[in-house]
Amino acid sequence: MAESLILIEHDREQVKRPALHAITLARQLGGEYALLVLGHGLDGIAASLVSYGASAVVVADDPALAEPLADRYATVIAEAARGCGAKTILGTSSTFSKDVLPRAAALLDAPMVTDVVDIEEMDGSISYRRPINAGSMFAMVKMEGDCRVLTVRATAFEPPAADAAPCPIKRFHLDAASLPNGIQFISREERTSDRPDLTEARVVVSGGRPLKDKETFERLVGGLADALGGAIGATRAAVDAGMAPNDYQIGQTGKIEWYIAIGISGAIQHLAGIKDSRIIVAINKDPDAPIFQMATYALVGDLYQIVPQLIESIRQA
Amino acid sequence: MKILVPFKSVPDPNDATSAGAAVSAPKSVINPFDEIAIEEALRIRERGEATEIAGVTIGAPAVDEQIRAALAMGIDRAIRIDDSRALDPYAVARILRAAVAKETPHVVIMGKQAVDDDSNQVGQMLAGLLSWPQATFVSKIEFLDTKTRARCTRETDAGLEVVEVNLPAIITTDLRLNEPRYVSLPGLIKARRKPIEVLTCDQLGVTVRPLTTVLSVARPAKRAAGTRVESVEELVTKLKQEAKVL
Amino acid sequence: MDFAWSDQQRELLDAVGRFASQQLNYDVIENDRDSVFNHDAWKKCGSFGIQGLPVPTEYGGLGMDPLTTVAALERLGYACKDNGLLFSINAHLWTAVTPLVYNGSEAQKKKYLPGLCNGTLIGGNAMSEPNSGSDAFSLTTTAVKKGSRYILNGSKIFVTNGPVADLLVVFATMDKTRGPEGIAAFLVEKDSPGMNVARKLEKMGVRTSPMAEVFFENCEVPEENLLGKEGGGAFLFTRSMTWERGCILATAVGSMQRLLETCIRYANERKQGGQSIGKFQLVASKIVDMKLRVESSRHMLYHYAWLSSHRKSVYLEAAMTKLHISDCWVKCCEDAIQIHGGYGYMTEYEVERELRDAIASKLYSGTSEIQRNIVASMLGL
Repeated sequence: MAESLILIEHDREQVKRPALHAITLARQLGGEYALLVLGHGLDGIAASLVSYGASAVVVADDPALAEPLADRYATVIAEAARGCGAKTILGTSSTFSKDVLPRAAALLDAPMVTDVVDIEEMDGSISYRRPINAGSMFAMVKMEGDCRVLTVRATAFEPPAADAAPCPIKRFHLDAASLPNGIQFISREERTSDRPDLTEARVVVSGGRPLKDKETFERLVGGLADALGGAIGATRAAVDAGMAPNDYQIGQTGKIEWYIAIGISGAIQHLAGIKDSRIIVAINKDPDAPIFQMATYALVGDLYQIVPQLIESIRQA
Repeated sequence: MKILVPFKSVPDPNDATSAGAAVSAPKSVINPFDEIAIEEALRIRERGEATEIAGVTIGAPAVDEQIRAALAMGIDRAIRIDDSRALDPYAVARILRAAVAKETPHVVIMGKQAVDDDSNQVGQMLAGLLSWPQATFVSKIEFLDTKTRARCTRETDAGLEVVEVNLPAIITTDLRLNEPRYVSLPGLIKARRKPIEVLTCDQLGVTVRPLTTVLSVARPAKRAAGTRVESVEELVTKLKQEAKVL
Repeated sequence: MDFAWSDQQRELLDAVGRFASQQLNYDVIENDRDSVFNHDAWKKCGSFGIQGLPVPTEYGGLGMDPLTTVAALERLGYACKDNGLLFSINAHLWTAVTPLVYNGSEAQKKKYLPGLCNGTLIGGNAMSEPNSGSDAFSLTTTAVKKGSRYILNGSKIFVTNGPVADLLVVFATMDKTRGPEGIAAFLVEKDSPGMNVARKLEKMGVRTSPMAEVFFENCEVPEENLLGKEGGGAFLFTRSMTWERGCILATAVGSMQRLLETCIRYANERKQGGQSIGKFQLVASKIVDMKLRVESSRHMLYHYAWLSSHRKSVYLEAAMTKLHISDCWVKCCEDAIQIHGGYGYMTEYEVERELRDAIASKLYSGTSEIQRNIVASMLGL
């Protein structure tokens, strides 16, 4: 029996590190928590999860689960949740968890809250803080009922310590033949990148619309990110203009320790996404740009002069 | 093939004054991701693969403006479920299930999330309630085998994924699926003659209560301003010595 | 007097505003610098319905009444920063489409109006000549009937849309001795034999609207392309001019409103001497004057349109509207530059371009001097 059941995402070889951050929230919520992994050939992954203080690592390992088909995964997640009597089912926000957890919530007749960044306890009930309006506002919500589902924003929670005594690994018995068959996996194409992920990087270098085009964006923003070993981010305007892919968009990822904004004026949604960063460096030619109101260091000038100089200085530093 | 497009009326995200804060008469628009869903339905029909496109939305009479915009884009008819309560995604999904039962579409195409709430749950919950296949965050849709299946390309964190779903199914749209057409004046005028059916939850045979309540909404706390640096050299020095990040 | 818009009108105006602000405001600075006509934007306007606003629905238009039409154009002017595109649209609407609607035969209307309404055909007119501007009816381009054709000879200048037009309404005289009564109007398709659209003319403003000189050397025009009657050209011109004078600056009212809001925003944000410059009375006063000009222009425009709807003679009101709005527009642009200071002079701030675009409004559709003459004569002077 566990109060919470945490869905842990993996890439078929190892656990995805941000997925573990949901454990931190489960610890805050209190009570026992079990970790759940689905897939096929999960021995290594299951073994890597035994020291996170869970009551058990529940493994649903079957060829029928080799690919993350939402209808099958949601069915198994719901059964596992019922099986361990979990009151809260959690996962870290990702396209995977967003695909399967809401469906599981419906199967459990449970409400769900997405992208939790913080909780508050008042009079024995818990309320959850989450971003709305592309992160320009935050809402405090509460949920009713015996069971609830939520996803956490990885960057809002510290990674959990893995120093507990090992817990048992339990095989979850499922009747593969009775799993739904409505979705077939055909293929995947994964982006390979040497750069760290936005949610995991220590420094993010981000660019806005003034970067003109994809090549310039890659040269200046990418160049600076590489010089610092950081990740690349972009404003919504830059993403819409095709300069950077969707998942680079800042304002959806939360806490970044060190943030460098190039040619970004600072629209409200964007500012909200970075306000918790310890250091913000802003480079913009408009002295009245709103971003300067929250920059730790503000450099007014032409980014086409400044960024190459900065890249040079850092390479020599 | 009949397509059902659920859509939501949201405050205009491009209107700086309406984003979040309660301003006198903020402008409303069709949720951008739902607009993409409507556009896709129209393109599917233009390819000759669909014969009817119906839209459905939940709200008070004020949302009729967005319904007319959807009709002006080109959908054939629309249903407004008259309910002005604050609903949560699960309540919305349960109401939509009743609408699906009434309309019996071959496919439901809808936005992956509403830009005011950003929950990204309704499509998936609806699929679970109906026990229908789902394909989320889709950037390409193709119908196969005399439209008994749909091949969908999905945008994931790591890249792209291609799945095939048996119909009927729920498909939610990603930004990259298409660029919606703008409402034209001829479309607007034609829309005035298209029917809008108004139904209550009672008439649909569904009674729901939201299980999530919003207690409060606030802007993030303001941050104190920092210092101006005059040169790259000064910036690098400060990053090294003060901030200690270099 | 009901000063309110109906729900349907409001819905239409909002759709115009949203369309224009999202679809038409790209590359304007570059196109202005290089005098490039935005074909893509033109086509979008066509499929949106702009070019057919006042045309009866049986010919592919939207059949809008004058008041709704000018309100829609005002909103277009508010939301679209490309005054040149708007100028081309206006020239198309008032110098080609309107004469065709009021004077065309069924066959001519069926042949040309649908394409003119949906943006696939671009229209314009050729009236002014090197030696006849304000003295319009002293034109010297000639038309002679030969068998089943008219043969045109002469040259026209300041032909807006000339370089891109599919159809021009060309005014020529068939009998110089009869003065205005000798003039006829012809529908001349592009590439007609003997027609030469010559060099593009470079202008001070509305540079994204293409303009050319057009030469006619034994240009052949089929007899079915006579617009109206032989000798009816002056009457046709005067009548369509009344429409043109009243409506051509509807978009300018929208532009002025946009300028006003830009100035208010700037005056509030720009700080000098520790406070917003909007707090300085010399700046505030200019903005107040801009507001008064926008309001009075708007009222004159709507009143003119209302009178048009009620079929009253609007010759006087059209002239007054054109005169007043053009004066107001130029003054608003001057004030906007002044309020923006040095930034107002910079291309990238898009304020200086407004003045360059506005100055032409005192020249086309009859110079301000001509408008004053009209009003004076209508006052019995």
